[in-house]
Amino acid sequence: MNKIHSACIIDDDPIFVYGTKRIMKDVDFCEEIHVFENGLDAIEELNRLRVAKEKLPKLIFLDLNMPIMNGWEFLDDFQKIPRHIREGVIIYIISSSIDPRDIERVKTYDIVSDYILKPVTPKDLQNLLEELAE
Amino acid sequence: MQKELLHLFIEDSPIEIGVFDTNMNFISCSKLWCKKLGLASEEVIGKSYYQIFPETTEEIRKIHEYCLKGSFISFEGEKTILPSGKIQWLNFKINSWEKEKGKVGGLIIVCEDISNKRNEDEYRLKAQKVANIGGWEVNLITNEVYWTNITKELHEVSENYVPALEEAVSFYKEGYHREKIVALVSEAISDGTPWDTELLIVTAKGAEKWVRVIGKVEYVNNKAAKITGTFQDIDSKKKAEINYQEILLRHNVATKTASIGVWDYDLASQELSCDENTYLLYEADLSGFGNTYDAWKRSVLQEDRDRVIKEMDFAIQHRVEFNTEFRIRLKNGRIKYIKSIAQVHKYPDSIETKMIGANWDITEFKHTELKLIKRKESFLGVFNNSSVGMALIGLDGSWLKINKSLCASLGYTKEELMELTFQDITHPDDYITDLSLLDKLTLGEIDQYQIEKRYFHKKGHIVYVILSVTKVSKIDGGLSHFISQVVDITSRKEAENKVRAVLKITADQNESLTNFAHIVSHNLRSHSTNLSMLTGFLINETDKEERENLIRMLNDSSESLDETISHLNEVVSVKLNVLGKLEGVKIIDVFDNVRKSVAALLKENDAILNVQIPKEYIISAVPAYVESILLNLLTNSVKYCSSKRRLVVDIKARRERDKIIVSFSDNGLGIDMKRHQNKIFGMYKTFHKHKDSKGIGLFITKSQIEAMNGKIEVDSSVDVGTTFTLYFNSYKK
Repeated sequence: MNKIHSACIIDDDPIFVYGTKRIMKDVDFCEEIHVFENGLDAIEELNRLRVAKEKLPKLIFLDLNMPIMNGWEFLDDFQKIPRHIREGVIIYIISSSIDPRDIERVKTYDIVSDYILKPVTPKDLQNLLEELAE
Repeated sequence: MQKELLHLFIEDSPIEIGVFDTNMNFISCSKLWCKKLGLASEEVIGKSYYQIFPETTEEIRKIHEYCLKGSFISFEGEKTILPSGKIQWLNFKINSWEKEKGKVGGLIIVCEDISNKRNEDEYRLKAQKVANIGGWEVNLITNEVYWTNITKELHEVSENYVPALEEAVSFYKEGYHREKIVALVSEAISDGTPWDTELLIVTAKGAEKWVRVIGKVEYVNNKAAKITGTFQDIDSKKKAEINYQEILLRHNVATKTASIGVWDYDLASQELSCDENTYLLYEADLSGFGNTYDAWKRSVLQEDRDRVIKEMDFAIQHRVEFNTEFRIRLKNGRIKYIKSIAQVHKYPDSIETKMIGANWDITEFKHTELKLIKRKESFLGVFNNSSVGMALIGLDGSWLKINKSLCASLGYTKEELMELTFQDITHPDDYITDLSLLDKLTLGEIDQYQIEKRYFHKKGHIVYVILSVTKVSKIDGGLSHFISQVVDITSRKEAENKVRAVLKITADQNESLTNFAHIVSHNLRSHSTNLSMLTGFLINETDKEERENLIRMLNDSSESLDETISHLNEVVSVKLNVLGKLEGVKIIDVFDNVRKSVAALLKENDAILNVQIPKEYIISAVPAYVESILLNLLTNSVKYCSSKRRLVVDIKARRERDKIIVSFSDNGLGIDMKRHQNKIFGMYKTFHKHKDSKGIGLFITKSQIEAMNGKIEVDSSVDVGTTFTLYFNSYKK
């Protein structure tokens, strides 16, 4: 299986981040992992990469409930990045929320590929890699 | 002797007589003649006739000469001018006398003064001329017709026109007039019946003219010899008469149709005469009315009689209009209302003075008037005593009349409310609706409208009403005024608002329960997934260091879970524990407690606190909540203060109707309202990278203040500061 070059986790829960990183290592998911505690830190980094004409991460795992800038706000700001630059960046929402209103709202964003309910399992990541390979 | 006797006889003769010699000198003259001539007999005797009458015509001189030859001549109508200049008309009789047998000695002249007779004839002619009376004559034997000049003038023919009989008739207007004259003439000829008639002729110039024609037959030897008569222009008189007849007819038609009775009362004879209409009006027989004035007096109702007679006497005495109303009782006992107007007239050429009047039946009018008065009274009764507020409103929107109920609803006295307009007391949000409907009503697009609107009570609170406005038209169709009916539905509306508020609370609570459920599930799930994940790792982990690390994380995670559950407990208790726990809380006291408990914190941060809360402000609240809210806001201000400036917190309180409003402003970091407006009070929402930020304080604050039926609002600018506005209910015992 082809592993992903770079993935990025945006979540304020350190235990979740720890667990996910560990699973990623186990399944040999990617070469690089970037972690941001909230949306604002993440969007600032993405913008920095853009200005520096560096490659954006291939995959983003985005939590919804975060301080400072939550997942929704991150999506709104991410959409403002010119399409040709953000094209090819895959976004997965990873949340504990089973609120149907959140799930419906996610569907309104074209840039989001899917919604994964926490916790992330090794199976989830393997499926993901298969999908990306196709 | 004989000569003297003769003189004596002549002188004393009772006629005008004179004796002349052959030279026409007076030998003798009667005293009467001398007197007529205005001369003494000595002045006359011996003088020549022509000396006395110098104006004597040549013709007369010739007659004298002729008579001196021994003849007798008598002639009439000689105009003589007397020495005094007076004109005399004389009849002369002239004879000669013989001095000796066969020898003329002179003349005897007798003259008879016919001036008076002659004058009468002249006057008669003049009179005829003035009265436009012409004469005519038809000789029945020769069928010749003679017209005098006036007759010719009336026919508008020339003076030398000689009419034939047929022509004379053909001047009468064809049809009735011509047939009538032919018939009259024939009858006159056959029976000798004279006539006097008024007919229409058409003159030679084509003008129509009314004439009076009188004709009478003269007989000779019992045979009709001629018809003579007069012919008089009566055109203007006749036309006036016809005109008068027409007017009279019209007047009669008018009075009859309008059932107006006309009467006149002769003041001298005290006789009252009435026309047919008046009798009809009083429903009295023409015959059975007796002395009409007394009968009239009797018919007037006792209660009105003295007054009416007094009014009539006054009108007669002062020559003013008699204008009154009275009731009469008819034979069948029914009462009629009569209106009578009269005026005293004095004819210019008469001593006769009459009061002429008209009277008519106004019963129906009176009944309508009475009904109207009754209706007005009943409307007024309804208006004044209705439990519904009512007002009459002028076209300019001003009150014309208001009732007690309206005043009671709005809390004003009548005098106070009359000073205001409906605009003054209408809630500004309802003003346009009401006004636009009123405009439609004024324009005639609608006849009435009904709206629910709000007024302000004198004390300031809102009065809910259902307002119905109806327009009232004048007789000419124009607008007169509006009638407003105001049903006070405040109590109903308040109940409705309460129900609505309860519904809203229920809906809000449902909403927040749903949110809460999701928050709970989300937060608990976060922890549970972490716990299960960590335990999963721990089972398979062999590395000792890593195992310790995992156990530490497990411990942290279960502590977080505990904390989350305690937060949730706190939130639930806020929602549950308020009912029945509200009490009067002196807000300044609570604030002083809070200040004391954070005194150290404030000092450490060098914060300035400006507090303006009036001591008398007492709110309806749970003391612990108020303390918690103030404490939370104050610590937030300290936590999120700007490093660029010294912290200043302004706390002010004011009263608005039944609310006490506390504003809480700082000059801290501020929150980006554009981004966070909707989640400032949300659970676990944090906006600043602060180690103590948990996103729970404002959530609890909002829950607490809402639990006390208050509300909280926020306004903020990044790097300027934040203002929270707290609405509490003023405490009512």
